[in-house]
Amino acid sequence: MSSAIRIAREEWRLWLRSKVVIAAALIIAVLLAATSFLTAGRVVDEQSQRLDKQVAAEEAFFSQPDRHPHRMVHYGHYAFRPPPPLAAFEPGVDAVTGQSIFLEGHRQNTAMFADTKASADLGGFATLSPANLYQLLLPLLLIVLGHALFLRERESGTLAVLLAQGQSGVKLAMGKGLALLSVIAALMIPLVAVAIYSISLGESAMAASSLVFSYFIYLCIWGALVLAASIILKQRAVSLGVLVFVWLFAALIVPRFAINASSAAIDAPGKIESDLIMLAEQRKLGDGHNAADPAFQRLQAQVLEQYEAETIEELPINWRGIVASYSEAELTDLLNEHAENRMGLEASQSRMFDLFGVISPTISIGSVSRTLSGTDLATHHRFLRESETLRFNFVQAVNQVHVEDLDYARDLNRNASDEAGQLARVSADSWKVLEEFRFVSDASGDRLSRAALSLGVMIAWLLASVSIVFLAARRVRM
Amino acid sequence: MTSPLEARSLSLIREGNDVLDGVSFTVAQGEIFALLGGNGAGKSSTLLTFLGFLEPSDGDVLVHGENVGSDIAAARSAIAYLPEAASLYGHMTAYENLDYFLDLAGKSAGRSDIDAALDRVALPDEARTRRLQSYSKGMRQKTAIALALLRETPILLLDEPTSGLDPVAIDEFHDLVTALAKGGQTILMVTHDVYGACQVADRIGLLRGGQLVGSFTAENGERIDTETVHAAFAQRQSA
Repeated sequence: MSSAIRIAREEWRLWLRSKVVIAAALIIAVLLAATSFLTAGRVVDEQSQRLDKQVAAEEAFFSQPDRHPHRMVHYGHYAFRPPPPLAAFEPGVDAVTGQSIFLEGHRQNTAMFADTKASADLGGFATLSPANLYQLLLPLLLIVLGHALFLRERESGTLAVLLAQGQSGVKLAMGKGLALLSVIAALMIPLVAVAIYSISLGESAMAASSLVFSYFIYLCIWGALVLAASIILKQRAVSLGVLVFVWLFAALIVPRFAINASSAAIDAPGKIESDLIMLAEQRKLGDGHNAADPAFQRLQAQVLEQYEAETIEELPINWRGIVASYSEAELTDLLNEHAENRMGLEASQSRMFDLFGVISPTISIGSVSRTLSGTDLATHHRFLRESETLRFNFVQAVNQVHVEDLDYARDLNRNASDEAGQLARVSADSWKVLEEFRFVSDASGDRLSRAALSLGVMIAWLLASVSIVFLAARRVRM
Repeated sequence: MTSPLEARSLSLIREGNDVLDGVSFTVAQGEIFALLGGNGAGKSSTLLTFLGFLEPSDGDVLVHGENVGSDIAAARSAIAYLPEAASLYGHMTAYENLDYFLDLAGKSAGRSDIDAALDRVALPDEARTRRLQSYSKGMRQKTAIALALLRETPILLLDEPTSGLDPVAIDEFHDLVTALAKGGQTILMVTHDVYGACQVADRIGLLRGGQLVGSFTAENGERIDTETVHAAFAQRQSA
């Protein structure tokens, strides 16, 4: 082991005396520092902004005056998804899914973007996240540093001298590998800093440390591939060319292909498209605003029988509220069915995309990174489901107020005059039915179990690439 | 008594070509044996088989009576090897190079030991803390020779050791090699320098087309006759 350490030390000596290497390392360090600082700052801002907006939306709802209950159904509410602390490193799907939803009766609205402040952050530079750098740029740095690790010795003749000192190919590979490993360890420092920072913001230590571990594995895969190429190939230029091609293939070509392939294999309509498909079915359910709609005749008969009444005017409850509540439940079932179908297809696409990790570790680390950071598609889907539950509960709670607290006759007469309109209102105290909503990340155990498959694929990659290094190193002679 | 170095019917095929064909010789302790031959004669390949870098297609190479293939590490620990190109690291100083390679060889040497070796090869003091990328070929060669000296191994393999050295340095090198042999080191050198080989070698083997085609031995304390060897060398080259 001591000879491996010595070989690694001398590799560092070479790097530290090379202007090209120092320049490349400085560029990467500046990029990492800048993106980490900017992304962390933005995430902290957005976290507090969205929480403030959530609280403000609740206060605005509670502070509404006496109103007709159905007006509150349409007054609506907002649900915000604050970025989890690790979004400072991995913004994930946040940038493309929207982070807030306007919740109102009879509709499942599309998630929107909470604000446009991000556009002020140095233009497009803000979209370059630390995770992007780790996934795409750091492998390139390892290629620049390591493509000639062995070849340099072979080409300059020092390999023979090294071997003549009693060193075996495996020992040399261990030393060179240790040098790359120490570079990788140094590259992990900014991520460890971000992880510690995220823990201080409330992130689970297990999720943060698992993220650090995953990126360490990912960079080790690249380190092993780089080392293997430098042992197996015979010319420096060929090694560099092959490794750059592998990088292009794994980091750019396969992900692009995987997106197209999973979209083609599983045709998932977008939100707008599925809304249009759903509209026709929705019309069959009847108009909840019109209690006389023939679609509610059976309901009317059931309610009259339940209350042993002859006419709806004799009912002790508000028939229009009953219709609104019934209609909302029916409609929500339909909306949820379509939403679940769409989310199921999206999840299938995402799973298929992840399977391409078998031929590209960049896909696997992307998936693990988003999942552990709480910025993956599954988390967004949970946000959609939870906000839908919030929407349905508050709409139905207000409908219940409509049923129980507003006299049917007054309700029918609400448009006769201003005074009649005043009488068709319920107390503002009724708006307290709105539940408090605070979206939080999944427990770290749940995130880890979701990331397990991709993490397993990465570990298989690491074992395979290290095995190649070992086998190649055993064959080293000169 | 076993010879420190022995080749028995050594044959080597590389990329379909016969590089060595039934070469046999021994080198006794304290002897300087020079393998003389033109380009492509198989000289360097012979050296590399003793280090286990090349595996014989047939025959054996033995170091202290042990087949190299059965314990390459043991063979390498007994041998100091000076490659033709004096391959050392250009980004390191002479001190750093020597310290590094000695450390890898499991040999500890202090600064004074290194200085003593560099004194023996006459590397100027001022050059020792400069990086080798600023060295002439001769200075690199001297540093590589110093490494071989510092290894203090019983066997020294030298591949074209005087290549790139000026005449004065060549004479100094010959004196050094002779002194090492007198101290008991076994030396196998390969060269195409007829004059140099005759200056230092106790025996010369003439290698051509992978076969040992001639042998000359110094007798009665006399040097091997340069003209005789040269004539044989030239005859064999033109044959």
